[in-house]
Amino acid sequence: MNRTLLLQQVLNGLAIGSVYAIFALGYTLIFSVLRIINFTHGAIFTLGAYATYALTGSQFGINGLLAGATLPFRLPFVLALLGGSVVAAICGVIVERLAFRPLRARGADPLLTLVSSLGVAVALVNVTQYLFGAEPYSYPDPLEALPAAVNFGTASAPVLVRTVQVVIFGVSMVVLVLLTYLMNATRTGKALRAVAEDTTTSSLLGIDTDRLVLLTFVISGFLGGVTGTLIGLSVGIAGPYFGIAFGLKGLAVIVLGGLGDIPGAVVGGLLIGLAEAFVPAQYIAYREAVPFALLFIVLLVRPQGLLGRAQVQKV
Amino acid sequence: MSRHLSVSVALAAFVLVGGALAGFAADPPIPIGVSVAQTGPVALAGQEQVLGAQIAEEFFNKHGGVNGRPIKLVFQDGGSDEPTSINAFQNLINVAKVVGIMGPSLSQQAFAADPFAVRAKVPVIGPSNTAKGIPQIGEFVSRVSAPVAIVAPNAVKAAMEIDKNLKKVAVLYAQNDAFNKSETETFQQAVKDLKLDLATVQTFQTTDTDFTAQVTNVLNVKPDLVIISGLQVDGANLVKQLRDLGYKGLIVGGNGVNTAAIFPICKAKCDGILIAQAYSPAYKSRVNDEFKAVYKDKQKKDPPQFSAQAFTGIQVFVEALRALDKKSPIAKMDLATLRVELNRQLISGTYDTPLGEISFSTGPGMGGEIVQKQAYVAQIKMDPDGAKGTFVFVK
Repeated sequence: MNRTLLLQQVLNGLAIGSVYAIFALGYTLIFSVLRIINFTHGAIFTLGAYATYALTGSQFGINGLLAGATLPFRLPFVLALLGGSVVAAICGVIVERLAFRPLRARGADPLLTLVSSLGVAVALVNVTQYLFGAEPYSYPDPLEALPAAVNFGTASAPVLVRTVQVVIFGVSMVVLVLLTYLMNATRTGKALRAVAEDTTTSSLLGIDTDRLVLLTFVISGFLGGVTGTLIGLSVGIAGPYFGIAFGLKGLAVIVLGGLGDIPGAVVGGLLIGLAEAFVPAQYIAYREAVPFALLFIVLLVRPQGLLGRAQVQKV
Repeated sequence: MSRHLSVSVALAAFVLVGGALAGFAADPPIPIGVSVAQTGPVALAGQEQVLGAQIAEEFFNKHGGVNGRPIKLVFQDGGSDEPTSINAFQNLINVAKVVGIMGPSLSQQAFAADPFAVRAKVPVIGPSNTAKGIPQIGEFVSRVSAPVAIVAPNAVKAAMEIDKNLKKVAVLYAQNDAFNKSETETFQQAVKDLKLDLATVQTFQTTDTDFTAQVTNVLNVKPDLVIISGLQVDGANLVKQLRDLGYKGLIVGGNGVNTAAIFPICKAKCDGILIAQAYSPAYKSRVNDEFKAVYKDKQKKDPPQFSAQAFTGIQVFVEALRALDKKSPIAKMDLATLRVELNRQLISGTYDTPLGEISFSTGPGMGGEIVQKQAYVAQIKMDPDGAKGTFVFVK
């Protein structure tokens, strides 16, 4: 493999991996606080993408209940992205109230919460299809003025990466920094970590756990909206099942990185992306197996994931 | 006397109306099953098929149904996977007791669900199953979708006419889908038959969204033509990423990307894709004009191939039922006999449809393979802003 091709594959891997990483960040945040896998993340991600689409003033297609509908105003892309993400955050709150809080209040088994979130995810996907139909949509391109790809090589030996993927990589790094700061350097972050450690004790110490859990869902939903929109910008909104496809891969990413570990989600995402990029062309059909094979090997050596802390069993 | 007369008239009227009502009650609508993808990733094509079938139901009932008896379509969601389509077929066969089924949407689903219809001796018409071996599933399985082996090579020939120096070809296909695997074999054979150089073959999954690795491998061989066999979203994303990363040559797309539904994904970058067609809205015939007018009235655009093929599927059932009823009244047949006779009749008929004139060829142990007179190649032309596009027929 010559140097240009090597660099190309590394950048391809980072580009694919940053998509996984940014998706997994919202996923892992909920796990880090509540110790539950939130399967609704993929559905909220999709809803956020549709909400941004609506806020850009674009028209819905011909098949859903909202066939032909369009908002009376048109927001610039960045504002629409923020608005769409707020809608996704509100969805996160509703999901928390409907699917998680009642079970938490009864001290239900985490497995029940998992099933409940799966049920809500399926319902959300179907509501999305009912409202917007199954057709794909894509945003008016805010990067239109820029070249479609950035050349990291030379004119004679180009190493091209799509501009939108460079943007996604940048945003996932910014989100990583912000989340790490929030969790490690703010009072809210400390309180969140306390809730993660022990809900009852933190509640006895005067921490409003319900409010913090809600906040976690708001942040995770908002991140879902940002992610859905950015990935939608790269590959279009492929339909109501769009986010679900990322769910399984996202799960592999957070387990690989270390369940609930925020930098771990990014490392896991990038590693899986790189592993996929280096699958030789003739074996590309087996690319889907790579993340899970990698996961299997890592779990044999480090059951807590790459950056995760070993769980201490309380007796 | 006059009182007696009025009583007699009232009685006569009662008997007549009662008789008419009884006659109506004796002739309930003929149930025809439709099982296409109303949910799941293929729902987009499925929704186009539902629309085509609904237009056919309305159209043929307005034109007298089956010799005065209306038809009624029974829709059962076939989903986008095999288990859902099997379940839908069994429901239509055993619960709704339909005379025949149009569906499923994917060849892959046909290989799974059609054997159940064959065992129950229920005629099936595939509206969009174009993989190799569909009518060979059994003698009750026919299709109105021209097989890729016949349609696909036309698009490669059209590309060679546009670029006379065309030599190097890269082929990409979705390896997790029966139809696309079958289509790519046809394309690859056509490339060899036309003495072109097959420089690379790349695979992907219909669920993939990132094709950077495949595009890198394709660009490395510097092809003059890229042939893609995928479904709508993955196919369109592949085109978009090929263009983003600098590919400027010709692109031939398979049947899976043969829909305006790819426009929102690849936008202006869809421009120039060549696709072989089994249907052209521009085809001149009375039935196509009428179908097109109703579709346009509902959707404000020309009908896509999926809708035209679904309309044709229902048309074949209706016209075969009409012909059968004239030979021997279907009201007197029990359901099992009707299904067998209907299958025999539909395979032997010739039909003037929106796709052009079609008939079926058959052989031992197989159903009806479509024989379609017309074949077309279209090239996508997009507006510069990528908002709107059309299929311009080049052949």
